Amino acid sequence: MSRSLLTGNGAAAWGARLALADYIPAFPITPQTEIIETLANWIDTEAMAARLVTLESEHSMITAAGAAAATGVRVFSATSSQGLLHGMEMIYTVAGWRAPFVLVNVSRGLASPITLEPDHNDVLAARDSGFLQIHCATCQEVLDSILMAYRLAENDRVRLPVMVNLDGFYLSFTREPVTLPDAKTAADFVGSYDPENIRFRASAPVSQAVAVLGGGPYSYFRYESHLAAESALEVYHQVADEFENLFGRRHEAIDSYRTDDAELVLVMLGSFATKAQQAVDQMRDAGQAVGLLRPRLMRPFPRQQFRQLLAGKKGVAVIDQNLSMGFGGILHGELASALYGQPEAPPILASFVAGLGGRDITGEEFFAMVEETRAAVASDQIPPPRLLYTQAELREVRKLQAVAQVERVELKQPQTVQGGQANES
Amino acid sequence: MNHNPDSAGNPRFQRMKDLPSTHLLGTGTPMCSGCGGLAALHEIYDIIGDKSVFINAAGCMTLLSVYPFTPFRGSWLYTSMASAPAGAQGVRDALDILMQKRRMAASEDMEVVVLTGDGSAYGMGLSATSGAMERNLDFLYICYDNEGYGNTGQQTSGATPHGARTATNRGLSGFPGFKKDLFSIWAAHKPAYVATVIASEPLDLARKIDRALSLKGPRLIIALAPCPTGWEFEPQQSVDIGRMAVKTGAWPLKEYIDGEFVHTRIPRHRLPVEQYLQLQGRFKHLFEPRRNDVLINEIQDRIDRYWRNVSSG
Amino acid sequence: MYRIRFHGRGGQGMKTASRILGTAFFLEGFEVQDAPRYGAERRGAPIFAYVRADRHPIRERGVIQRPDLVIVADDSLVPVPGAGVISGLDDHGILLINSEESADTWRHRLSIGSPILTVPDHSGDPAGQRFLGASCAGAAARLVGVISREHLIQAIGDEISALGTAAATASLVQANSDRALDAYEAMAAHAGCVSEGSGISAADYRSPDWVDLPSDPATVAAPAIHAGATSVEVRTGLWRTLRPVIDYSRCNHCWWVCSTFCPDGAIDVAADGEPRIDYDHCKGCMVCVAQCPPHAIEAISEQQAQRQETQAADRENSV
Repeated sequence: MSRSLLTGNGAAAWGARLALADYIPAFPITPQTEIIETLANWIDTEAMAARLVTLESEHSMITAAGAAAATGVRVFSATSSQGLLHGMEMIYTVAGWRAPFVLVNVSRGLASPITLEPDHNDVLAARDSGFLQIHCATCQEVLDSILMAYRLAENDRVRLPVMVNLDGFYLSFTREPVTLPDAKTAADFVGSYDPENIRFRASAPVSQAVAVLGGGPYSYFRYESHLAAESALEVYHQVADEFENLFGRRHEAIDSYRTDDAELVLVMLGSFATKAQQAVDQMRDAGQAVGLLRPRLMRPFPRQQFRQLLAGKKGVAVIDQNLSMGFGGILHGELASALYGQPEAPPILASFVAGLGGRDITGEEFFAMVEETRAAVASDQIPPPRLLYTQAELREVRKLQAVAQVERVELKQPQTVQGGQANES
Repeated sequence: MNHNPDSAGNPRFQRMKDLPSTHLLGTGTPMCSGCGGLAALHEIYDIIGDKSVFINAAGCMTLLSVYPFTPFRGSWLYTSMASAPAGAQGVRDALDILMQKRRMAASEDMEVVVLTGDGSAYGMGLSATSGAMERNLDFLYICYDNEGYGNTGQQTSGATPHGARTATNRGLSGFPGFKKDLFSIWAAHKPAYVATVIASEPLDLARKIDRALSLKGPRLIIALAPCPTGWEFEPQQSVDIGRMAVKTGAWPLKEYIDGEFVHTRIPRHRLPVEQYLQLQGRFKHLFEPRRNDVLINEIQDRIDRYWRNVSSG
Repeated sequence: MYRIRFHGRGGQGMKTASRILGTAFFLEGFEVQDAPRYGAERRGAPIFAYVRADRHPIRERGVIQRPDLVIVADDSLVPVPGAGVISGLDDHGILLINSEESADTWRHRLSIGSPILTVPDHSGDPAGQRFLGASCAGAAARLVGVISREHLIQAIGDEISALGTAAATASLVQANSDRALDAYEAMAAHAGCVSEGSGISAADYRSPDWVDLPSDPATVAAPAIHAGATSVEVRTGLWRTLRPVIDYSRCNHCWWVCSTFCPDGAIDVAADGEPRIDYDHCKGCMVCVAQCPPHAIEAISEQQAQRQETQAADRENSV
């Protein structure tokens, strides 16, 4: 084991290398490209015994990944944002083949307008596809999660592809100290890929991914994938135990931080959660009983664990770095459905949408979100969803609109709102 | 696989009697009766054999394998309309990796075959095909070309010929555009082999598939697929219409190999194209209620011009 | 926690600077986070990179709001608002400018509370430009005062060889090390002047001035630009490190060569047949210099040109 500074992209490449991936179908897209460049370089210099092929699109890339996995090799690939969406038909399709592989997604906001900076709408667009999803908060987690993802994907009770998500820029281009497992231990942990009856061989013909007629068989096959995804939860815990035994790092399905005696709990995905951790410490220093839950698993959704961890809490603030138009934050909705009807569910579940397209969340904003949630608990009124957006940001947009010569018929001027006093629009 | 010339150097298929008399592709498929595409596929499958994995794109033949039925004695993978060649890439690469890393015996290797309709080949799948050729993928591509989106009711595709009536061009002059020259588009990539075939010329077809199998790299075949449902004719006419397509010169049989273009059948006395058109309901508006000489002549002229270049070239 | 920001132009090695400093901190036993910040910017455009270093694991992320040290590789960026050089600097943070001009001059010009230091720049020396990243890292290492020469040199070795190019030879590492050590020594008098900034307090903080977004009609709220050529408001002249200057006595009034080949269309020919360079938008590619048939266009250092202009302006003000 050695500890060195690696970017999130570098850590992802190391994950593929240590997992002994055989095959890497690739297509460049910012902010993921460094992953495939790193792997290509290792393959060229014979540091890694794999084959990398650059396809002509992500749609083809995911097809090749699924097809190779279905032929019985260990496959790794990576994409981001528009690339993930371009491949989306195949994301759904290959998940149904029940051929395991690992796909890294480097989160980046979706068009329109197009951006390079991160949020989680891309990976959450693949939420219902049959891919399992692990969301990472540090570069170390990226590497560790890829190793764990192969174990999860290839488990005979699961047999589904797994997506490992990291935030663009905030992890992809950011170096942090990462402990590299030694190659032998990593290889022992991941094990060799036994495709069992999922492979094409001259002596054993298989017709894979065939059509069905009628809803009966269709429902059967689809629901079986769902059951496999659900059983991945239990498998995940076993894999996490084994990982901890070998490497000394524990990666829970939900990372829980100072929640035991917390009255108010923040819930969020991804790398911004480390900022939330820092804010939790600062609030603790100020005598506030605040904690943080960060789901690493989004699929399968660890609903039972959420219920336990949030039982008896007074209020929860869910921070979504995504936006479902006409609905709001996706994680908020998922958590609400998990908690509905639970006898000890927190009475207040506040929704904040923040960090879209790389927009930062400041320390003060974490404090203010907790303050709004506390006010909601006191008044026993669930607050309307809030977008974290400042007066200064709106003023800046108004300036841009002036350059764009938007018809400024009646552009409303921003109005400051007091914490917890927002009007529902 | 037994597709190379014998020890005396004779091609495997010299006469009709050399063609297989028992057939490999299973019966019981849901293809329309009289399907010219299925006819071509079963002739082709006899030559390729069951040491093969077919990578399919959305189209009529997606329904060849409906759970739990498949006519293939070898393997099959359904991908999507746009990306069958990429599926072939993944399977071919995986087989190579497995052999290279000694995790699979060479005897378990297979011919990787893409099977798509014209909707995919001429349109949505063209980029993936181009990419596979760029990468010099070792694969065989079979396009069954029934000149329209047949599986959805024969709407106009990139392969629909000038003047044909389709579900989306129901007017008096049919489709105003022109059938895309996919053979030339493919050949422009300089792959190992490109050929046109048709089920009604089984010896020509067998020789070409045999030849394709003896080569490495991208090998692409377009089979014109007379389609009783989409072209509006009685199933029993399927072979006759195919023959007529060749005799009128509407479907030139040719190959591209080693950088050369070769016509494998040059009709000595080309029949007028209207004899081919008249057999099909999709061209009925050229003859009834009034004969449309302008359009018929235009179609004939284009065919004449094509063949003039062939004889002069 | 130490929070350090490097400002420069794309191509000046600020990412390398942040990585050298980050690795040096790491070798000293610090927890480290370093990252470049760039989007669609190109060579010559302002970019920055940052380093955080602490004895505890670092959980803060993203752009540094309140830096302890800001290092500017290219002094022409300091007055550019979009470059954000002085953003978040208060009397705690130190500003180090790579500049021929004195700290006093900058203090006078910027009127900010933050202590200002300067190091002589290498703008006149093309070799110096190549090693700006190492120089900046060397200066920063000495100013924080917790990084040894040995670890600085080791970090340079790691980072320069990690660039992975064939050019990453021992001599390149040596040249970078020499420059970094020069800067390290030059800062000896200020060793350890940078101190670790404190965090924020949940008991006493400034509330964010959140607003409820108004629901604007789609005519307003769609991301559409309702006018042509609004890009002229972007002053790409700021990217320039070399400035083309026309010697009109040698210009043969061909009327088209420089103007046609300028990729940005930043040269117009006036009615009198004389080409005029639009310095607000000229990116300094020097295609005009290369193409001008009578060689009437000369390349001069942008920094020197600006310095002369500023000094002239300063003289005028003092008169």
